Amino acid sequence: MNLTSMGIPALNDHLGGGVLKGSTVLVVGGPGSGAEFFAKQFASTGQEPVTYFTSTERDEDVMSIMREHGWRTDINIVNIGTKYYENVLAKKLEISKFRQEGITLQDIRRIKDKDAGKEENFLTFLAYEISKITPPFRVVINSLDFFLENYDSSEVLMAMRTIKAHTQHSESVTLMTMLKGVHESRIQSSIEDLADVIFELDREKIGQEFKKYIVVQKVRNRPGLVGILPCTFDQTGIRTC
Amino acid sequence: MMEPRTGDRVRCATGIDGLDTILYGGIPTDNTVILTGSCGTGKTSLALEFLIHGALNNENSLFISVTENSEKLLANIIPYRFFDKDLLKSGKLVFVDLPAMYDRLGMTKAELSMEEIDLLVASISSLVRELNTKRLVIDSITSVCYKLKTPEKIRDFVLKLSKALSDLRCTSILVSEVAPHSNAYSLFGVEEAIADGIMLMSNLERRGDLLRTLQVIKMRGTMHSRAKYVLDLTPVGVLLVPLLKGGSAGT
Repeated sequence: MNLTSMGIPALNDHLGGGVLKGSTVLVVGGPGSGAEFFAKQFASTGQEPVTYFTSTERDEDVMSIMREHGWRTDINIVNIGTKYYENVLAKKLEISKFRQEGITLQDIRRIKDKDAGKEENFLTFLAYEISKITPPFRVVINSLDFFLENYDSSEVLMAMRTIKAHTQHSESVTLMTMLKGVHESRIQSSIEDLADVIFELDREKIGQEFKKYIVVQKVRNRPGLVGILPCTFDQTGIRTC
Repeated sequence: MMEPRTGDRVRCATGIDGLDTILYGGIPTDNTVILTGSCGTGKTSLALEFLIHGALNNENSLFISVTENSEKLLANIIPYRFFDKDLLKSGKLVFVDLPAMYDRLGMTKAELSMEEIDLLVASISSLVRELNTKRLVIDSITSVCYKLKTPEKIRDFVLKLSKALSDLRCTSILVSEVAPHSNAYSLFGVEEAIADGIMLMSNLERRGDLLRTLQVIKMRGTMHSRAKYVLDLTPVGVLLVPLLKGGSAGT
């Protein structure tokens, strides 16, 4: 079968070798569940060129995790977080300064050259960047939460459908992360419906320790594969035990 | 005839001969005047001339452009014979685009909140203070009002703005657009009630000719003629002559 690796050997075994090429994979979990780490381990594997979109980390943070675990570092990081900071947050900071301290002629004049750049739609940017990659590709979107916070959910869904279709037709693989329990249930359900494979990272407190699990929530057309895999996180990454 | 009251208020001479005659010497200083009219009646030209004369007379003058790019506007005034480019260099005559201020202050929404109105008034005031502006034109106030939407907000804005400008000893012309054949002096009907003065510019068709006319409807602090004058835009500036009633074929 035409499968591609998830990066976690025991998870691949459970899935019969990996996920089908063309799959869109969703990883959900609460804060601290390790979804971002999961995404990096996913990025460390496979034959395809990797593009890693991040909205939360600096490039060097991603790279240092990859190096620390001996994973591939030839990945292309597209930092939406940095772009967002430069385009939007820095401007917001400046606006609050002007609102607080007042505005001078020089401030008004200066903007003429500066405001040439229109405010960017990062959702459009994401879809466009993915459309430019030569398939088959391995894409990570960490995380959907950024887009759901900043854009209408219908717009986000539309973009995700586009990305999913592109992934499917080009026999590539896309993984996206999403926080559990913070978005409207209708939105969460729609995203879950769109995903071909869903992993949930869960944990329970037993005595003094957390027991951690990869919950295989959904594998499209393979309902028999859903299940709960106990796992641990160590120097080699996520391992099932 | 009553003796005109002319001596009690200091005047801001517009520099436009006919208009200063109508106003017995000029606009009383610190007044906020609405200059209203439909398109093509010469509002912007008259307002610009008011500023250029001020700047030539060593009064700092500020033009806040809302609808048109100020660079484009500048290209239109250069032909004036009395215009001197050095006025721009020396900062006697300053052009500012209000959209740039909106952008700086993050006023990107279609409708401004009450808090943002205060902020806008404060920002314009601080600019007037910084530049020590004595003459101000906002072209047009109607475009600002489109961002305010409700009569309450417009009233609030115009009141606060004219109070602030008056406190800063600045004589101001707020350009207002009305539809042709409208009976009101402003599109929203609110601005006119608050202003210290109203000057109305219109088109008048007479004997197949489209004349521009000017009429001072109201001006606090002075006597003034309420007669309609014919206005001519020439390279030496605005020329005003009384509209002769005799021989008129009507409209």
